[in-house]
Amino acid sequence: MEAGKAVPQRAPGWSRTLSLINPLRAVWWLFTSVRFAVLLLALLVLLSLAGVVVPQVPSNVRGDAMAEAQWLDRQHERFGFATDAIDAAGLFDVFHQRWFALLLTVTVVSTGSYIVSRFPGVWRTITRPRRRVPDRYFDLAPHRVRAEGAVDPEALSAVLRARRYKVYTEASGTDSYLFADRFQWAQLGTFLTHASVIVFILSAVVSRMDAYSAPLFLSEGATLPVFPVKNPGQMQVQLINAHAEFADDGQPLNYRADLAIFQDGAEVLRCSSTVNSPCAYRGFHFYQAAYFGYGATLVVREAATGNVVYRETAALAEKTPSPHIRIIGSDGVVLLDDTVLLTESAGAQDREYRAGLLRLPDGTPLTFWLPVEGGDLVVFEPSSGKDAIRTSLAPGGRYTAGDLSLEFVRLEDVPSAVVPEFPLPEAAGGGLGDALFLMTNVVYGTDRTSGGDVSAAAPPGEPRLTLVGLQPQSITLAPGESIEVDGLEYGFEGQREFVGIEAKRDRSDNLVWIGAAAIVVGLMITFWVPRRRLWARITGAQLSLAGQAPGHANYTRELADIAVAAGARVKDDGDND
Amino acid sequence: MTEASSAEQQAPPRRGFVRRVAYPAAVILAIAGVIYWLDHRAGGTTDIGEEYGPRDLPAALVPEGASVTAAVGSLAPDFLLENLDGGESRLSDYRGRPVVLNFWATWCRPCRKEMPQFVEAYDKYSADGLVIIGLNLQEGKSIIQPFADDYGIDFPVLIDRDGEVGDEYRLLGLPTTFFIDRSGVIRSIFRGPLEGAVDGTNVQGAIAGSDLDTRIAEILPEGDADGGG
Repeated sequence: MEAGKAVPQRAPGWSRTLSLINPLRAVWWLFTSVRFAVLLLALLVLLSLAGVVVPQVPSNVRGDAMAEAQWLDRQHERFGFATDAIDAAGLFDVFHQRWFALLLTVTVVSTGSYIVSRFPGVWRTITRPRRRVPDRYFDLAPHRVRAEGAVDPEALSAVLRARRYKVYTEASGTDSYLFADRFQWAQLGTFLTHASVIVFILSAVVSRMDAYSAPLFLSEGATLPVFPVKNPGQMQVQLINAHAEFADDGQPLNYRADLAIFQDGAEVLRCSSTVNSPCAYRGFHFYQAAYFGYGATLVVREAATGNVVYRETAALAEKTPSPHIRIIGSDGVVLLDDTVLLTESAGAQDREYRAGLLRLPDGTPLTFWLPVEGGDLVVFEPSSGKDAIRTSLAPGGRYTAGDLSLEFVRLEDVPSAVVPEFPLPEAAGGGLGDALFLMTNVVYGTDRTSGGDVSAAAPPGEPRLTLVGLQPQSITLAPGESIEVDGLEYGFEGQREFVGIEAKRDRSDNLVWIGAAAIVVGLMITFWVPRRRLWARITGAQLSLAGQAPGHANYTRELADIAVAAGARVKDDGDND
Repeated sequence: MTEASSAEQQAPPRRGFVRRVAYPAAVILAIAGVIYWLDHRAGGTTDIGEEYGPRDLPAALVPEGASVTAAVGSLAPDFLLENLDGGESRLSDYRGRPVVLNFWATWCRPCRKEMPQFVEAYDKYSADGLVIIGLNLQEGKSIIQPFADDYGIDFPVLIDRDGEVGDEYRLLGLPTTFFIDRSGVIRSIFRGPLEGAVDGTNVQGAIAGSDLDTRIAEILPEGDADGGG
């Protein structure tokens, strides 16, 4: 440097300070920093762990303020005083917090920035590799070999080409220089691996933001919308037919739901959906998620006009214990072999009973009393005669009176439900009120291959629906039958099955597959086809090799093998490490 | 040495611009874009076309200073929709007559519950000029027609295929009923209490028969048919 001569300097003072705190530069530095990326990933792992360990708000509770409050109350039992703090921190719903989405976004951008910042350099080394290195590099390279003996550059080139290297040679005076490159494109594998991280995070974001799921509980013939009220992409799902097969031991063998999908007012798809093979339409999958076999469709019409005032399918989810009674008269004639419905409640001798009445063909009334808390069935003939039937029987018990034989065959659970807001005839007060539905002679499952959870197989014949509460006596209807009461016509359309359908859309599925493929391919490339770069200098009777390869490769040994194959003698002086 | 230092300091101008400005700007734009997308993302859309949907009220039917919005005291927003008979109907065609506009769907249990009341009310008040419009939300004729036959619906049933009219009327759940007087002004709106997400749907309680009569009585009287605001 010449004394007294002005040397150009960076602008001092404010200008330099400003250039250092240039916000754009700072952002770029931050996002291309490996430490920052590691910090982000560590944070993501920790928060995800919290999201797994800490119970998360169930999806059917999220958004319902009252249900959320009740759910939170239950968490107090487990987390005590810390509950409110955990809730305030959003740890009960980690994956739906905006800050979590933001963290994912920043991680994506950071990874993307890393790729963008490194890519040009890597691309340059692939397309325009450095073919000549300074001589000093042959003493400093991480992988280096020095060998003795006259080596023909052509022989070395042939050895390298045989090992699938691309070879470039250059003569400089009496010396020869050589550059060889193998699997140079494999260096892009690392970007594929990094890109897969972005794709995975994007798939999580897409799933979080775009995924939609709606549980639909449909009876045969019923329709429900996919979105709660309206949506530009609204669809309706109609259950055409439900199908369920059970083994004799009650184990389910097969579930299937025949569906029709409607959109824009037209049927767009008719398909069968099972648990593992859902129907699919426009990104939605319709999985069968549940089955329930005890439904009864009842229609009520105004007798005068024929207009429907009620048409619903009731899910008979309750079970009413009812005795199956067999009565055999003289000459072995079966007078009764059926379930006696206990539709009344009554109290006697400080005990609560369910009671029912039936009449034998000769008009003899019999009442049946079953204690609510359990116990023997009391059979009582309301007559003062000395031959009147008065007995109590356990299941399987038999009572004989003269020619009459009465057997309490078994106790059955009859599907039933109290149906609210049911149109009542004037005789029952009119308007809307509660009615009790009981359905007998039914089995669980479409094909009646088994009794399912019914205690015994139903007798042959059609199901029967008994309505209690419309008039003093109960009404029993077979499918297709109807009865008029006070200007209202009550008709039983038949047994219907219910199916739970899960309508799901998750457009992140494809991204997950792409990400998985990218990470597998990227890692395979990185580990199985690592790039090799080799520089050689041939001076007289000495061969120097220097090479670069990923850390996991034992490239020094490979260089020695190459030197030997080219006809050189490798020195074992400790420098060839 | 001086030359070397000088050379180090002189980075190629284009590369400097890319590293200092273009890349960071792209990063910031990417973040801003994602945030914008998160805030403004839309649901799946199906364009059904512009044939039917909300319409501007004809100027002659909008008095000066009157507002047109789905709120009590405002003029009911106009629309043109296809009806179940294959024709089309426009709300403003009924100006001068009291209108009960009932949003419903066959899948909606409270809608089914209250439908017989609308059938009965139509029989009872149609002689007084009452029009009941059953505005079905996004269902098809193959589903609606059997329902209408079953329930004996003899008032006009219109179909809002893409839900745009429902949007215009700020629908939150079904059923919802607007009571519109002869001058086109919304006199009352019945939104039943939300019954919870029954079957995953937003259904609201059905209107009681007596309440329906009372609200109809409010819109029946003959009077100023110029509109309000």
